[in-house]
Amino acid sequence: MPIRVLLADDHPLTRAGISAYLAQESSVELVGEAADGEAAWKLISEVRPDVALLDIRMPGEDGVAVARRVKEAGLPVAVVMLTSYDAQQYVLASLRAGARGFILKTATPEEITRAIGTVAKGGFYLDSEVASAMGDGEFTPEQLSSREREVLILASKGFSSKEVASRLFISERTVQTHLASIYDKLGAKNKTEALLLALKYGVVTLEELIE
Amino acid sequence: MRRHLLLIITFALMLPSFAVLLVSGIGIVQHELAMESVARSYVQEMAENVASRLTGTDISGWGGELSTLELRRFRLFAWGPSLPGWVAVVHADGRLLFSSPGADNLAAIWRPNIPVGRAVEIKDKNGDLYTIAVYPVRGGERFVIAAVAWELLLGPLARGGRLWPILVVIMAICILLALWALWKWLIQPLRELVAELQVLSWGRDLPEPSDPVAVCEIGSLREVLYKLASAAVERTHLRNRYVNDIVRVQEGEKSRIARELHDGPLQNITAMIQQVRLSTMSKDEETVKKHLALAEETAHLVVRELREMCDELSPPWIDLGVEQAMTELSERLARHFGIDIIMEIDDSVELGREKLLSLFRIFQEGVSNAARHGKAREMRANIYKEDNSVIFEMKDDGNGFEPDLNYENLRVEGHRGLANMLERMTLVGGRLEVYSRNGGGTLIRCTMPESRFDVPDENPGRMVPYRKGGIPKGSGHEAENNRSCR
Repeated sequence: MPIRVLLADDHPLTRAGISAYLAQESSVELVGEAADGEAAWKLISEVRPDVALLDIRMPGEDGVAVARRVKEAGLPVAVVMLTSYDAQQYVLASLRAGARGFILKTATPEEITRAIGTVAKGGFYLDSEVASAMGDGEFTPEQLSSREREVLILASKGFSSKEVASRLFISERTVQTHLASIYDKLGAKNKTEALLLALKYGVVTLEELIE
Repeated sequence: MRRHLLLIITFALMLPSFAVLLVSGIGIVQHELAMESVARSYVQEMAENVASRLTGTDISGWGGELSTLELRRFRLFAWGPSLPGWVAVVHADGRLLFSSPGADNLAAIWRPNIPVGRAVEIKDKNGDLYTIAVYPVRGGERFVIAAVAWELLLGPLARGGRLWPILVVIMAICILLALWALWKWLIQPLRELVAELQVLSWGRDLPEPSDPVAVCEIGSLREVLYKLASAAVERTHLRNRYVNDIVRVQEGEKSRIARELHDGPLQNITAMIQQVRLSTMSKDEETVKKHLALAEETAHLVVRELREMCDELSPPWIDLGVEQAMTELSERLARHFGIDIIMEIDDSVELGREKLLSLFRIFQEGVSNAARHGKAREMRANIYKEDNSVIFEMKDDGNGFEPDLNYENLRVEGHRGLANMLERMTLVGGRLEVYSRNGGGTLIRCTMPESRFDVPDENPGRMVPYRKGGIPKGSGHEAENNRSCR
């Protein structure tokens, strides 16, 4: 049974291109197209696709907001952000909003199909271009200690070092030390990158982050 | 020397007054001494004289009535001495034998141990001073006493002399008070003002607007300084706000450009990539051609979009000169906004790039406002010369508005358009006038100096609702112009 996919993008040419990609894949069935956020939400709640490909920038409601509504409504729809922006902050915002994948519009048809397949199976997919901006895939990170994982997860949820410290009953300085150690182990330059790398290497799971 | 003005003034005033005090003091003392010796010799001589005469006269029966002869001989006793004082003859046992008038208070000044034969000064109970001399007559049975009352002799003079030092002291006190006032009301406020100004950061701080202690001249000085400082602060605020505005506008522009790039070329090139990929994936030639044709079409679209963006960012045809550039712009604007633009340009008008660019932006903004807000269908634009000025007018048939706005209000209310027009004109030393009324169209007139050496207009812009007579037409509005140059 093919994966039922919904596509939302306000740019007709891009939408046409992507739908042409998807039409060539037998494992995927395009069940709807929307040109703005409102229409996308309406379609999602009516059609209940397996996967929704959402553009971040759309008139009316943006893709991130639609993803949040899907998450809040508890619909069994895996959201993949489809965008021209490769900023890591967007990745993080999308993941916090409940998206399970993030791919660029310039991605190859194979990659788009792979992303759809991965998230439909409950996995997490990060565009190879965004991911490779953070280092090559061959790197195997050193294992994080359980305390470091706790710190990373709390920090990723948007808590400040101070708040993390008070939740874990440790000093702020210790939190900073843990973070420095995490960055070092993952080869990250900042919190966002550390989180994305941790997701990429499977150090933390998306569920841990989103819960 | 100039640093110690106050000290110099003090010395200049105090030294003469001390000198006067000193000299008059010495004079008074010497005068008193001289008077004392005169009085002494007088009473001494008088007493001696009377005593010797009494010795030479054998008057029988002392104590009885004086004979006429004797009276004549001692008329001194009847009338008293020529100087204010008196003379008396007393017996050794203290009885007053006879005396001249006024000797009654002899008892008041008499005391036991007055030396004989020598004049001395004695004070009576009232503190009046007397010079008194006692001389024995014939072996010491009787004594002649002669006295001069200082009070009567030198009274006014002595009192006047004693008044001198008091006057001088009063004068000194007055001088000191005046100096103190000078210090308190002038020197100190001046110093405070200087100290205040030394640490004052021009354009940020304000000095005290008044000094209740200082003389009014310093008060005025402070007022003037306060006004200047306020103006400087105001200017700083304006400049900061202006810079903020510029930064905000720049950021706004950047994000607008980014958005346009994202929504336009970026999407279209993405679509091109997709079409090219689809063409490589296709097996049959017809589909490949279709995809490639679509990609090419999209590429053309991207080129058009990018060209339009370039034109908008910095129109390359602005270098063609006023006439061509403005005509080109009016055609583009007319196409873009779907409005008729009738452009008339005096071909003798020449403008520098800066000014032309300002006109460009004002024209763009004006047409955009007329079309979007005013729903205008037609606009007449006119560029002509008048009295060394270049004037650009645009007049639409739109809805108009109530232009009772000033620059500040425009800024605050977010009407960047008109505020920008005003700024543009100010930058090139020109003036912007906006005439409008609800339901009556709008006339915008820009007046710029033609000369190359631009002097910024003091009063760069104004907006007037026109209540009667409608929009002034063409060049028949000198009166308006004059009024705006007030």
